[in-house]
Amino acid sequence: MLAQIFVLAAEAGEKVEASNPIIPEIDEMIWGAIAFVIVFVLLRWKAWPAIKKSLQDREDKITGDLEHAESVRTQADEELKGYQAQLADARNDAGQIIEEARQAAETVRKDLIARAEADAQAIRTRASDDIKAASERAMADVQAKVSDLSIELAERIVQQNLDRATQIQLIENYINEVGGTRR
Amino acid sequence: MSSRTEGYADAALAVARAEGQLAAIEDDLFRFTRTFEGNDSLRMALTDPAMPAARRISVVEELMGGKALPASTALISAIVGAGRASELPEIVNTFLEKAASERDHEVAEVRSAIPLDESQQERLAAALSQATRKQVEVKVVVDASVLGGLVARIGDTVIDGSVRHRLEQLKGTI
Repeated sequence: MLAQIFVLAAEAGEKVEASNPIIPEIDEMIWGAIAFVIVFVLLRWKAWPAIKKSLQDREDKITGDLEHAESVRTQADEELKGYQAQLADARNDAGQIIEEARQAAETVRKDLIARAEADAQAIRTRASDDIKAASERAMADVQAKVSDLSIELAERIVQQNLDRATQIQLIENYINEVGGTRR
Repeated sequence: MSSRTEGYADAALAVARAEGQLAAIEDDLFRFTRTFEGNDSLRMALTDPAMPAARRISVVEELMGGKALPASTALISAIVGAGRASELPEIVNTFLEKAASERDHEVAEVRSAIPLDESQQERLAAALSQATRKQVEVKVVVDASVLGGLVARIGDTVIDGSVRHRLEQLKGTI
């Protein structure tokens, strides 16, 4: 085939004498086509698999990177969700702790107020009792002193008025009263 | 009552019987004991262990000498000299009870603001005997704190008709 093309080209070259500056010569076109085919074949035979492999590798790499990126993004999303959930839990816990602390503080405040009121009431009651007891003691002391003074006064009056005749009369009365009783 | 008190009382009773002057010795011991009970200074002096026995006995002899029988003085001196002055009232009371018991009598200790004459003592003894249905002998203690009237103690029984007692009752009602 190649020999036929060569012959045709040689014959055609004999017939054409003037060359066109725009259109190349036939043999150039033939040689160009041959060279193109050779180059094409060589490229298709040797370079294309390497290029294809390179492209495939690149594609695989890009796909892997994309998958990896997707995986990382998914993982990041999951971690973000996890963090958000933890944050929400932490917020809930914090709110609960604050609420519990508030309730505990309120309970303590109420207890303290109740205890203070009870203490105050006890102090008031004790003070009232003390005042009452002191008043009663004072009254009893006054009564005892009045009683003692009255008896002392009565003793003095009795001593002054108990003459011998009265003493004898008292003794006689005693003897008569005792003699009239049986024990 | 301790056996020692009984022993002293029995010994005093034996001495009084041996002397044949039981009633007089009873009176002497009774009067001295009442004086001893009513006088804090005398009681502290005769019960003071730091005071020598001879000094205590001399105090007794000074007080009783000429006013009591020698046997009475000797009995009190023996008790005080032995360091038993604090037990003297109990010993003498036991002695009096034993002496009265021998006569089938009981002793009534009577406190009065003024002394009682024989007639009053006899009528009082008869009245107390009738009241207690026991034969009672009266021992009178002159005690001004009674104020007026009488207080009789026969054993555990007290019959209080004193002005002091009535004032105390009055005090309780004020």
